Amino acid sequence: MSELLRLENVFAGYGEAVVLEGISFSMEEGDSLALLGRNGMGKTTLLSTLMGAARHHSGALHFSGQDLAVVPAHGRAHLGLGWVPQERDIFPSLTVEENLTVVSRPGHWNLQRVYEMFPRLNERRANMGNQLSGGEQQMLAMGRALMLNPKLLLLDEPLEGLAPLIVQELLAIIQQLTEESGMAVILVEQHARQILPLTRQALVLERGRAVYLGESATLRDDRELLDSWLACGTTPAAH
Amino acid sequence: MKAIDIIHAEHRALGAVLQAFRFVLDGIRDGRFEPDFQLLAAMIEYITQVPDKLHHPKEDDYLFVRMRARIPAAAGLLDQLEADHAEGARRTAALRGALVHYQGMGASGFAGFDAIAGTYLDASWKHVTKEETELLPLARQSLTPEDWAGIDAAFEANKDPWSGPTGEFRALFSRIVNMVPAPYGVGDAGVPGA
Ligand SMILES: Nc1ncnc2c1ncn2[C@@H]1O[C@H](COP(=O)(O)OP(=O)(O)O)[C@@H](O)[C@H]1O
Ligand SMILES: [Fe+2]
Ligand SMILES: [Fe+2]
Ligand SMILES: [Mg+2]
Repeated sequence: MSELLRLENVFAGYGEAVVLEGISFSMEEGDSLALLGRNGMGKTTLLSTLMGAARHHSGALHFSGQDLAVVPAHGRAHLGLGWVPQERDIFPSLTVEENLTVVSRPGHWNLQRVYEMFPRLNERRANMGNQLSGGEQQMLAMGRALMLNPKLLLLDEPLEGLAPLIVQELLAIIQQLTEESGMAVILVEQHARQILPLTRQALVLERGRAVYLGESATLRDDRELLDSWLACGTTPAAH
Repeated sequence: MKAIDIIHAEHRALGAVLQAFRFVLDGIRDGRFEPDFQLLAAMIEYITQVPDKLHHPKEDDYLFVRMRARIPAAAGLLDQLEADHAEGARRTAALRGALVHYQGMGASGFAGFDAIAGTYLDASWKHVTKEETELLPLARQSLTPEDWAGIDAAFEANKDPWSGPTGEFRALFSRIVNMVPAPYGVGDAGVPGA
């Protein structure tokens, strides 16, 4: 396995404002990382920094053997970064199928494989983006990112606002992606307990700084750590 | 405490299907949905098979056994939960019978099916809630690391809450999600005009 992503002492934010302070971590090809922390701690900003949508102030950003800091935002998807933003950003006036095919790169993931993973998208392929339910939109946003055949998939709170049944299905699919494909995944979530079993590493942010970086399994088994940073050591059943 | 995480996760997966089943029943009762017997059968398959074949046997054979040995005061609670498990097969048969009856009778059979399904759902929720609020906190508090090592090993065999050890329930779960109407699922089974 070779190194895919490396951040060294990265500072980033918006304009002059610094949100992320001194972030360092690295991922191998096919690796998985849970990016955790309460609201407003800088999770989305970290993904935006990778995508070039937030401002990188200093520190090394290496992706796939390249200095990411010199690659313009519009070139980063082409390098192999697939972003599923928190807002999902479906094109409302394109059909499902057009949403999937408007930007794609050749590779394992094609229309047929995306439809196998998300059979509902196949049924809805002629419907417009703005006719979709929240669950369908999230599936489309994920399918669209897969069509880019990214080396690293960035999922920003993909479970937010969805009914438990859909949450469970997406968790199963994300597990399949992290286990079976060579694609690396960074998964942002508020509900740590649900995603720690799906990932190898975890990074916890608190006000823009890393307060935990290590094995997901270690964090999962440490209720005190989980409670202190995330207030989610216990998970009640889904009702 | 791996086993506890797995039990929580299985409760969440099961809870999600129980909740969707209630949503579908409510919709049929209110006239928003037509009955879709493939969906009803799939949901019943999941909410009965996963507990009866997968989840309860692990609780009975490992967690409950250790708890009985370690926590004498838990005997009453364990008796109740074990009795629920033992009832499982009978309740499953009743629910399946009710579905067959409903399918044969048509609309006039709904009330009977609804009543039996409602009883099943209530019993399942009550059972899971008891485990979440009484059993698991007690286990967490009182079992020793050696107790957990044995329990964890047994639960580990089951890699995720959706699939079962050989993946037999994964496709079923997915089929349900893709049939249940929004906002609970992403399908349109029973939605008029769909
Ligand atoms: N576009 C923006 N411009 C300025 N500040 C922002 C912007 N987006 C987010 N922030 C600020 O950056 C901090 C981190 O936000 P964010 O990365 O969205 O957190 P999270 O995703 O962990 O909830 C917050 O204080 C937020 O107010
Ligand atoms: Fe039980
Ligand atoms: Fe249980
Ligand atoms: Mg965010």
